[in-house]
Amino acid sequence: MNNSLHIAAREYSENARTKGFWVNLLMFPAILFLSIKVPQLLEEKAKPSRHFVLVDQSGAFSDVIDVALERDYQLSVVKKLMEWQSKYTKPELLAESAPSAEDLENMPAMDFSGGMTTNISGAMMDQLLDDNDELLSLLMHPDGQEMFMQAVSGRLIENPPAFEPPRRFLVRAPFPEGALDHLDLLTASREDIVAAMKPYLLDEKSIVNSEDPLFALVVIPPDAFEQVKRPMDIPLGPVAAAEAAKAGVQFWSTNLTDTDLSKLVERAIDKEVQRLEYVDKDLDPEVISIVQRTNMQFATFDPKKKEGQEIVSMADTLRKWAPIGFVYLLWVAIFTVVNMLLNNTVEEKSNRIIEVLLSSATPWEIMCGKLIGIAGVGLTMMVGWFVSLLGVLTYMAGPEVEWAGVLIDVIKSSGLLPLFALYFFSGYMIYAGIFLAIGSLCNTVKEAQNFMGTATIILMVPLFTMVFIAQDPHGSLATFLTWVPLYTPFVMMNRAAADPPMFDLVGSGILMFVMAIFMLWFSSRIFRMGVLRTGQPPKFMELIRSLKTSQKEQ
Amino acid sequence: MNDTTPYAVELHGITKRYGDFTAVKSIDLVVPKGSIYGFLGPNGAGKTTTIRMILDIVKPTEGSLAVLGAPTAMDVRERIGYLPEEKGLYKKMKAWGVIAYFAKLKGMNGKAAKARAYELLERYGLGEFADKKVETLSKGMGQKVQVLASIAHSPEFVILDEPFSGLDPSNQQVMEDVIKDMNDAGSTIVFSTHVMSHAERICDRILLIASAEKVFDGTIDEAKAVIPKIVHVEGVDDGNKLSTLPGVDSVRHSDGDGIGCFEVTMKDSANPQDLMRNCFQSGLELTAFQYHEPTLHDVFLHLVGDDAKVASVR
Repeated sequence: MNNSLHIAAREYSENARTKGFWVNLLMFPAILFLSIKVPQLLEEKAKPSRHFVLVDQSGAFSDVIDVALERDYQLSVVKKLMEWQSKYTKPELLAESAPSAEDLENMPAMDFSGGMTTNISGAMMDQLLDDNDELLSLLMHPDGQEMFMQAVSGRLIENPPAFEPPRRFLVRAPFPEGALDHLDLLTASREDIVAAMKPYLLDEKSIVNSEDPLFALVVIPPDAFEQVKRPMDIPLGPVAAAEAAKAGVQFWSTNLTDTDLSKLVERAIDKEVQRLEYVDKDLDPEVISIVQRTNMQFATFDPKKKEGQEIVSMADTLRKWAPIGFVYLLWVAIFTVVNMLLNNTVEEKSNRIIEVLLSSATPWEIMCGKLIGIAGVGLTMMVGWFVSLLGVLTYMAGPEVEWAGVLIDVIKSSGLLPLFALYFFSGYMIYAGIFLAIGSLCNTVKEAQNFMGTATIILMVPLFTMVFIAQDPHGSLATFLTWVPLYTPFVMMNRAAADPPMFDLVGSGILMFVMAIFMLWFSSRIFRMGVLRTGQPPKFMELIRSLKTSQKEQ
Repeated sequence: MNDTTPYAVELHGITKRYGDFTAVKSIDLVVPKGSIYGFLGPNGAGKTTTIRMILDIVKPTEGSLAVLGAPTAMDVRERIGYLPEEKGLYKKMKAWGVIAYFAKLKGMNGKAAKARAYELLERYGLGEFADKKVETLSKGMGQKVQVLASIAHSPEFVILDEPFSGLDPSNQQVMEDVIKDMNDAGSTIVFSTHVMSHAERICDRILLIASAEKVFDGTIDEAKAVIPKIVHVEGVDDGNKLSTLPGVDSVRHSDGDGIGCFEVTMKDSANPQDLMRNCFQSGLELTAFQYHEPTLHDVFLHLVGDDAKVASVR
């Protein structure tokens, strides 16, 4: 046993002391950190302001577009102001208002099916402001910001840094000097206007007072109201429809991907058109607006939760989706370490160190030593990941990335961590057995790769099925794969949050352990026989024959 | 465990078969403690398999063995050192680390193993490379490190499989010194080699294996005695006179060397000195009398020459 420990210590230090290992370890939190931080920074610093020129020949829409722009800007002010005030709130008050586990349970559920990067804070703020025009209206008031500051000043730390309002991203620019002077804008044809502005759109000429190029040109025709499309209009064929669309408002831009501005303009014009329709039909737009913002209270409940707390919270939703992250980590962790095992075994075999080892320790001791050493590497990697994950999340948690705090709470409270550890070690034992056997039969890494081709296809299954199983944790795919011991660790990790039936949990667990022990026994036999083999890896039947012979001998 | 035995190794009819192929066939051997034993034989003769069976790396198909009185080498592994035929080390480890690691596997404690590693590297001229990674060492240095790794725990019994292969002449000399040093310190050494001159210089006894079977086992002198003594004489008119002399087994005219040149094969017990004296006494006027004591190389070719050729073709 002592020798196993010496071998384990060497395996551990050889793998855990490499630069590659630490790069790999730190890569995960770094990617997580960057994937949250970079878009934020880009949004804040790198995203250029979008200057556009509006030619409203109808004269009916420039005001509403201006209001929409201002409202859009004030929304970003409000968001930043909220973040600023909660950042500089006195710590003791912050503790009071910090979301407790109970608060988290009561937060409204969000839909994460589109991905985990949804900025909950932003999404919630939009929802809040859409529902409550008064708050935005207050802040849109010229003194609104000051009033807000006064209201919160008692809660803030002394002398907080001054609030820096965000940049304006969408800016309506004046006509470039001299560009349109030769035209009578009220009557000029759209072709002439576009032709006059094209050099600016193509960045051949720049607009005054701006380093950024002209982002877009919006042209609203004089007969804009005749171009309004109504549900009762006779439907047009595709060609005619395209022609009809051209006659309406035109949005010219070389950037086809950033749709913020085009959407804002379109929405503002549509809203105004709709408002005028109401007036035309003798309906009071105010009343309509109130009616439109009227809705029924709606909540989702989970019958599995404790009585009185069945309402589905944000934490619940995160808890349902967190296992996918865990499955992915599990997969990466297991295959990173078993690959180390494979490479080390092939290395020892190819340079014949194995023979010296065999003169000092039994094959079983060598195998145990390798398994323990590499398991230690895996454990270090996971502890590293989780510590850094919690570190990054804790650092991030706050008003800007609200879900980070919730996720920390979910990770700590959900009981997924012990399960993760359990499934890591059982998965590790099964796959370590397979990889060790492959390693012991191959003389070079290249030979091992030939085996790996087939193995990789089998190993990809947990990744391919990860999302389907999370969506339908009790479906036939999930149940079937649960009983395939090779996949049990991944599938059960994925199903863990959905309270799988006890029979599946315990039964597949037992099967998995039996499989793990069988794999270790089996690979110890192959290892014994394989490590001293030279030449081509054996054919399958040859392998079985040799196993039988070696069994007789011992 | 009976360690009062005078033998480091005892093999009784050990045989190793892989399917239909017999790698080693019924070899009996005793290696006395304190001796230097050379395993000689052509490629593929079964030397390495025999060594692996001694070390309990592979199990014999038939026969029994004892190593330092124990039924398997694994029981006394702390007292055994082993250098395999193909040399390799952990490239990413430091020179001292490799030596200390293998010493620890042989039961030394960590501190002592480290101190011993530095001491050995210093003694055999690698002191300045002790903290270098193995991958930065030259091939010869790497081999030295491996040799030191196999003997760092001061084993009583050391097995070296082809210790001289790949070494330049000066390092071969160092290797010979290492073997002699260990033997002086009381260790029993078994080594296999193709290079007869090394075996001849340092072995007390040799085992010759060919085609999986033992061909010879004994001291160097006994090995040389296996070959008939042949004397080359010149200036003799009549070959028949030679064949009547005492101690002469047969006489052959050696073609191509000219008239009066003969090759005299002597009887086992006869002495070339006596033959010379007898020639003079019987009035033969010799112009030349040449006797070369056979080398181990001659013995090797004599005993396993055909097998060696067969093996090299195989």
